Amino acid sequence: AYQLYRNTTLGNSLQESLSELIQSQQIAPQLALQVLLQFDKAVNSELAQRVRSRVNFRGSLNTYRFCNNVWTFVLNDVEFREVTDAGSNTTE
Amino acid sequence: MANSANTNTVPKLYRSVIEDVINDVRDIFLDDGVDEQVLMELKTLWENKLMQSRAVDGFHSEEQQLLLQVQQQHQPQQQHHHHHHHQQAQPQQTVPQQAQTQQVLLPASQQAAAPQVIVPDSKLIQHMNASSITSAAATAATLALPAGQLLQVVRAANGAQYIFQPQQSVVLQQQVIPQMQPGGVQAPVIQQVLAPLPGGISPQTGVIIQPQQILFTGNKTQVIPTTVAAPTPAQAQITATGQQQPQAQPAQQQAPLVLQVDGTGDTSSEEDEDEEEDYDDDEEEDKEKDGAEDGQVEEEPLNSEDDVSDEEGQELFDTENVVVCQYDKIHRSKNKWKFHLKDGIMNLNGRDYIFSKAIGDAEW
Repeated sequence: AYQLYRNTTLGNSLQESLSELIQSQQIAPQLALQVLLQFDKAVNSELAQRVRSRVNFRGSLNTYRFCNNVWTFVLNDVEFREVTDAGSNTTE
Repeated sequence: MANSANTNTVPKLYRSVIEDVINDVRDIFLDDGVDEQVLMELKTLWENKLMQSRAVDGFHSEEQQLLLQVQQQHQPQQQHHHHHHHQQAQPQQTVPQQAQTQQVLLPASQQAAAPQVIVPDSKLIQHMNASSITSAAATAATLALPAGQLLQVVRAANGAQYIFQPQQSVVLQQQVIPQMQPGGVQAPVIQQVLAPLPGGISPQTGVIIQPQQILFTGNKTQVIPTTVAAPTPAQAQITATGQQQPQAQPAQQQAPLVLQVDGTGDTSSEEDEDEEEDYDDDEEEDKEKDGAEDGQVEEEPLNSEDDVSDEEGQELFDTENVVVCQYDKIHRSKNKWKFHLKDGIMNLNGRDYIFSKAIGDAEW
């Protein structure tokens, strides 16, 4: 499973928590790694199954990068719109 | 404004992920010989950080507080120092206040064994809003006595305590000294109360953690004639809770981790990974190469005139709103880019959003 989602609020808070436990020597680093791997699986699975919302966005492209099959874009002045059944809301 | 659908699904999804992960790693923890307590601590830390980030609502953990009785101390502590009763005054307080409301209501639902009209709940809430002095924290703890009875202890912000015992509709009120030490709670409380409160709430039955850090530890059940006392493993919880209070407070009182991202402008970056290989490699790669060569030739003369420099790009990477997702297709035509994305988590203006599909356009 992709380790993509570790750099999210959810993922970062988990990593920080694990770091704290390692610092206080309550768990081993190897165990923390196992937890993160499990997290990867859980997040990928839940995202694919549970989430149904759609989003549109528009902006101007500042930079683009493609490396190791990973795209990284930097956009400016982006407007996000969420598509719902009731209509769309604007999120910025 | 956040989409209502997203507001509902994000916390649920996060709770679901947390539950899945914690349950899945439980075996790993045990195999490594790590105590379950550490696992619970991980969960608590995780949920606390999520709440601190204010990117998501953390109600689920609030419900668990009644059972774990660990986090209750943290939130009231924060409120104690902030002196606010406006729920929107500070983000951190929003959750605790809402949590408290929930906490007050939850015991009602949990009292299946002894249905009791919990009128005091509304009174308590009013109390909270009216008084809300230093600590506008109210915690309700419902513990099931060994005998199957439910004892509900509710503590209001102003220090008044209302205890409702299923068997007898006796309401015991107390005025608690705001700064009572955990160890010294029992004695003064008993003296002031109409009927010894701590005795009735002996740790055996339950623990209430309040900003004032009042702990009911191993009380003598004999004090309160109306109490049904029976030894319970609940004692361990209480003492453990008490110990964690001082530890938790300094941790919480420190500056909250800066997890939220305030967009410097309106930039967003996306990291994509190919999953289905729908995307056309050859075309993109060639374009990349060409782009690199052209760039090198023209860079030097233009560099000094560039308004948008690479340095800005690097800075932006740290502070901008981030979208993490997978890409179905990335398309470019001249300088017009089209993005077809999926399964993403976004952090925009400090809040978290999630999508299953996203389509975007940008001009380079």
